[in-house]
Amino acid sequence: MEPIIKVENLWHTYPTGNITALREVSLNINRGELIGVIGQNGSGKTTLVKHFIGLLKPTRGKVFIDGEDTEPLKVQQLAAKVGYVYQNPNHQLFARTVQEELEFGPNNLGVPKEEVQERVEQAIKFFGLEELRYLHPYRIGFPLRKLVGMATIYTMKPDIFILDEPTTGQDNITTQKVYRLIKKLRDEGATVLCVAHDMILLSEVVDRMLVLRDSEVIMDASPREVFSNNEIMASTHLAPPQITSLSLNLRKNKNKLDDVVLSVDEMLALSKDSNQKEKI
Amino acid sequence: MQGIVIPISMVPGNSAIHRMNPLPKLLWTFGILALSFSTRNIAVLGIAFAIGLLLVFYSRITSAYLRVALILFPISLTLITLQSIAPAFPRPWTTIAAFGPFNIYQEGIYSGISLLLRIMAMTTWAMVTIMTSHPSDIFTSLKKIGMPYVLNFILVMTLQLIPILQNEFGTVLNAQKSRAMKGSGFGAILPSMVPVFVGAIERVQQLSISLESRAFGSTGQKSSFRQVRMAFSDYFVMALGFVTTGLATYWVIIDKSLDWSKSMTFSPIFAVSLVLSATIGFLVFVIFAIRAALSA
Ligand SMILES: Nc1ncnc2c1ncn2[C@@H]1O[C@H](COP(=O)(O)OP(=O)(O)OP(=O)(O)O)[C@@H](O)[C@H]1O
Ligand SMILES: [Mg+2]
Repeated sequence: MEPIIKVENLWHTYPTGNITALREVSLNINRGELIGVIGQNGSGKTTLVKHFIGLLKPTRGKVFIDGEDTEPLKVQQLAAKVGYVYQNPNHQLFARTVQEELEFGPNNLGVPKEEVQERVEQAIKFFGLEELRYLHPYRIGFPLRKLVGMATIYTMKPDIFILDEPTTGQDNITTQKVYRLIKKLRDEGATVLCVAHDMILLSEVVDRMLVLRDSEVIMDASPREVFSNNEIMASTHLAPPQITSLSLNLRKNKNKLDDVVLSVDEMLALSKDSNQKEKI
Repeated sequence: MQGIVIPISMVPGNSAIHRMNPLPKLLWTFGILALSFSTRNIAVLGIAFAIGLLLVFYSRITSAYLRVALILFPISLTLITLQSIAPAFPRPWTTIAAFGPFNIYQEGIYSGISLLLRIMAMTTWAMVTIMTSHPSDIFTSLKKIGMPYVLNFILVMTLQLIPILQNEFGTVLNAQKSRAMKGSGFGAILPSMVPVFVGAIERVQQLSISLESRAFGSTGQKSSFRQVRMAFSDYFVMALGFVTTGLATYWVIIDKSLDWSKSMTFSPIFAVSLVLSATIGFLVFVIFAIRAALSA
């Protein structure tokens, strides 16, 4: 099957300041995959994902979406397939009310009126935006504004859903909504890319992680492999979830555990296993 | 953000004009402004414009300047078209050619050319100053010569508001495109202007809060981190600017022989081709602008 996103030797240099933000990136992403993108501030995560919707064009190399070279395509055209939730919601929202904001995308895609309304209702319910519906996006607090940003893309139902740091600075309730969103999108068959610093979120939902460091993708593997690679974790100053660190330590120091554990549930399941129980 | 965003802000460089204190530059610019408004003489305005252009080349801001001029100039061409058929001049007017239902007047052609040169001269000098000076340096320098703090602040913020608005416009346009904004061209872009201004107002409100929380309105001596010094050469250029533009302005006001509006006559052929090319120039510009907006 053809990958839905194909990146070939992609370089990107910002003209202002001549900063090379991406260097020789090549990767394939298949339909329906759930991908986490991690890396320190300024490592090039946002620059990479903005190429998928055409907000940035390669300085060198190629990006294909669903087999099509993005070079000649406009953002408006790519937006039919790719939804990008901005890292900064202030750069994404422009309408006078949340309601208008949610209608804008599907209206442009030519979705029939009744269906647009249905999607808006769904989104409002899913994200719990009932009380914000007729407010100006700027009158809403930053964390909720970010939820509105997600909802505006949710109503467009894109094949590829890109979230740029959806949980940064969010409280627990909102973070839970992001979890639910990603799982729902997965169930609906969308391809999801999630840029995040939240290792717990990623370890629980994604199948694959892209690790960026200094404008390069230095690792492309499952969360389990990424977290157990000490060198990568140290050089990117990233820390795995505590439960994973614990399992890694148990494994290394006393040879007490055979598996790398990603969540508390997994640990509990293991401890029920009589074989491992005595070790823990 | 490509396409329609035109930055009117500092272009980094290291020319003598860049290194100069902003005060002499501002003084020259205001001097040229005064001179341009005091005369309609085509030669005087043309020379002011030409010197401005030389400064543009000299300070190596040509490409940034051209990006602005390529928009400003065609729009200003409409002055020739409009003035030629309805001069901003006391009657009686001398008809030199008929152009469809319109008469083309001698005074109109003269006034059109001189208004065009006046606009180009003033904006060229202003752009040299803005594009070669750091906004904070302008701010600090004006403060030094006793410009009231608040007034100064308003002036500099206005200068900065243009790039801010342009930036904001690019951001909103990108946001709309990434939600599959339908249609293109002016029809689609105009609605984007609303959020741009709302965004700008929001920004100004934020700014006023952050200003107040940092004691903007407090009275007393203010200290500034940025130090801008006046070198001897700066004083010299400033004195030269004061004397030159002052004398020139005085001269153009008292010397009545500089009024060429009657003496400088245009042949009908010249008048018609000038009006035609100005009109066509403007229309071509409009077409290009629409095309650029379409492909943005
Ligand atoms: N518009 C721009 N112009 C110039 N340089 C930029 C621009 N946007 C980003 N950069 C630079 O490119 C590099 C990569 O930035 P990018 O935003 O992709 O990083 P990131 O991994 O998303 O970081 P963060 O975690 O802070 O969001 C940084 O050095 C940044 O300063
Ligand atoms: Mg980012």
